[in-house]
Amino acid sequence: MANKNAFYIFLAGTLVSLVIFLALTWDTHQQVDALTNADKLTEQVVTGKHVWEDKNCNECHTILGFGVYYAPDLTKVHKRIGTEGIKQVVLQPEVVFKDSIRKMPNLGVTEQEATDLAAFLEWVSNIDNHDWPPQDSADRMSAAERRATGGAGLSRGAAAFQQNCMGCHSIGGSGGSIGPALDTVGTKYDAATIEAIIADPKSVTPGATMPPQSNVSDEDRQAIGEFLAKQQ
Amino acid sequence: MAEEAAVIRTNMTDAAPVTARAEEKLVPYASQRVAYWYFVIALALFVLQLVVGLWLAISYAFTIPQSVVDVLPFGMTRAMHTNLLVLWMLLGFMGGTYYLVPEEAEREIYSVKLAYIQLVALVVTGVIALVGFAFGWTQGRPILEIPTPLDFVVVIGALIFLFNVAMTVIKGKRTAILGMLLGGLVFLALLYIFGMPFYRNLTIDWFYWWWVVHLWVEGAWELVTAAILAFVLIKITGVDRKVVEKYLYIETALFLFTGLAGTGHHYYWIGAPRVWLWVGGIFSAMEVLPIIAMVIDTFMTQRRHGIVIKEKVVWTFALGTAVGHLIGAGVFGFAHTLPQVNYFTHGSQVTAAHGHLAFFGAYALLNFTMFWYAMPRLRGNMNVNKNMALSGFWIMSLAVLGLGSAMAVAGIIQVYVERVLGDGFMVAQGHMQLWFKIVIVFGVLLIVGLLVTIWNMVFAKRAVLESEAIV
Repeated sequence: MANKNAFYIFLAGTLVSLVIFLALTWDTHQQVDALTNADKLTEQVVTGKHVWEDKNCNECHTILGFGVYYAPDLTKVHKRIGTEGIKQVVLQPEVVFKDSIRKMPNLGVTEQEATDLAAFLEWVSNIDNHDWPPQDSADRMSAAERRATGGAGLSRGAAAFQQNCMGCHSIGGSGGSIGPALDTVGTKYDAATIEAIIADPKSVTPGATMPPQSNVSDEDRQAIGEFLAKQQ
Repeated sequence: MAEEAAVIRTNMTDAAPVTARAEEKLVPYASQRVAYWYFVIALALFVLQLVVGLWLAISYAFTIPQSVVDVLPFGMTRAMHTNLLVLWMLLGFMGGTYYLVPEEAEREIYSVKLAYIQLVALVVTGVIALVGFAFGWTQGRPILEIPTPLDFVVVIGALIFLFNVAMTVIKGKRTAILGMLLGGLVFLALLYIFGMPFYRNLTIDWFYWWWVVHLWVEGAWELVTAAILAFVLIKITGVDRKVVEKYLYIETALFLFTGLAGTGHHYYWIGAPRVWLWVGGIFSAMEVLPIIAMVIDTFMTQRRHGIVIKEKVVWTFALGTAVGHLIGAGVFGFAHTLPQVNYFTHGSQVTAAHGHLAFFGAYALLNFTMFWYAMPRLRGNMNVNKNMALSGFWIMSLAVLGLGSAMAVAGIIQVYVERVLGDGFMVAQGHMQLWFKIVIVFGVLLIVGLLVTIWNMVFAKRAVLESEAIV
């Protein structure tokens, strides 16, 4: 085979792949606004993205799975811990991660920056990315969470606990480790006290670092209180 | 095929280029000497990269107290680790280019002065960038951290380089290797531009981030390294140029055919259309084919050629490049490229394992192949301590295989504990710490292997070499 033919194979192979790639790039641009809710991409979200970049968040964390694997993925962090939770972590990492095996530096983030950052992360959490990552997928609640929250017949309290609390707290070894494990919390507090803690942790323990869970509805809060009071 | 065999047969009988060259000048063109400083600085930066990397492994394996983390955040050192990687490898490619272009084009480099100016510009930019990271001066995007003002210096440096190489090629002889090399370098420089702007939409941001990162390592860099490898193979095996060039075209055709559309394997979970799952999955699954072709081709080169290759060290590194490429990029890449698998492994330590094995196998060993070909010539001493050089190869290769495998085990633990069991990130990291302690051990071994190699390649005195010479 003459080298001229080899050269034409090179050219043809490259061009075919390039055309497919560029056509799909064009298609991506057509669809990206709908997939990412571009109408909700406000100036505050953009400011938050600047904070994200200025503070080098992506050098320890991943987002959309990209970045560095030293700290948790933040694609759906807003669904895990909400605006208040994000602010709490970012403003006082030395308190939140006091007992963690891995620390987060205090990056001198201001209150305003933290709010903008949370707005950015809220927008990111609503990107339609085929339900990734698996650990935050509501459709794909893990076997451990199902076990922890009572198997097939999931009570309202268990479901609400799984949805709102397990980012920080664990039961039966499943869940987060930012807050204490709650396996025996029922021996310490009754349902009403737990409800009060969820609404405003400082009302029960003034030194509490947990942020008020304002995104939990009254019904869910009551259900979680009853569910946790049974954990003895 | 018959005509090829004839070419090879003639080659075997009437020429043994390697020995014939012994009486010629080791470095035929004076301007090739600029490569020396590119290589030496590249090696120094590689040492620095490994030292920083060791600190990163320690940060994974142990709990670093808050007081240390506040002063020396992990992210800062990680930015240094990756930027040192990119800088030393690019300097290696550029040095390699300056070394091979005069011999291929059969004329001196267009401007030696520009080559040095460009080297100084890039190294100074690199140093400013690294110091800047310590003070938080970064663009905040992994691997593309260099702040925009410095980006422009990089672009100017790249343009000087391209101009210098292009002028040399235009005024000299044009070969397929030079065409491939120049094409790869232009492609490389163009892609860098997509990483420079600020993107409002995070999805679009990552979409074009991969135009730089993926299309570099699975596109432009493949062209550059294929050209460098082809050059070295022609020189040390004496196989006919036409045969090597034919495989160069076919392999790079396969690399680009699979690699361009294969970019889609990074677009599965970023908020891009679902069609990328199909296109990315199918094309990137084929990305292993050109690598297999390359391995077969490299081994067959020796068999077809049928004579003993004198430069054992260079040849070992060349084979190592092919095999390392296959393990790191081919096997580890393929293992988690299908969407069904990638859904669970994406953004975990599995990716880190793949990254380390692939960069070392495909690009670090390729650079060392060129270093080991050029440095003894540039130093005017072909009496290389072969045993020490081969020890260097095996220590480094096994160390990277070890640390990459340890990261892979950590990654599998992470996938299972965090993503399948749903036990939370830190719980998984706790189980992974043991494996990062193993990474530290292999990291130290890698540094030892590199220092042995550098001592042998750059510092060993001629007298010492001669007394222990095997060649």
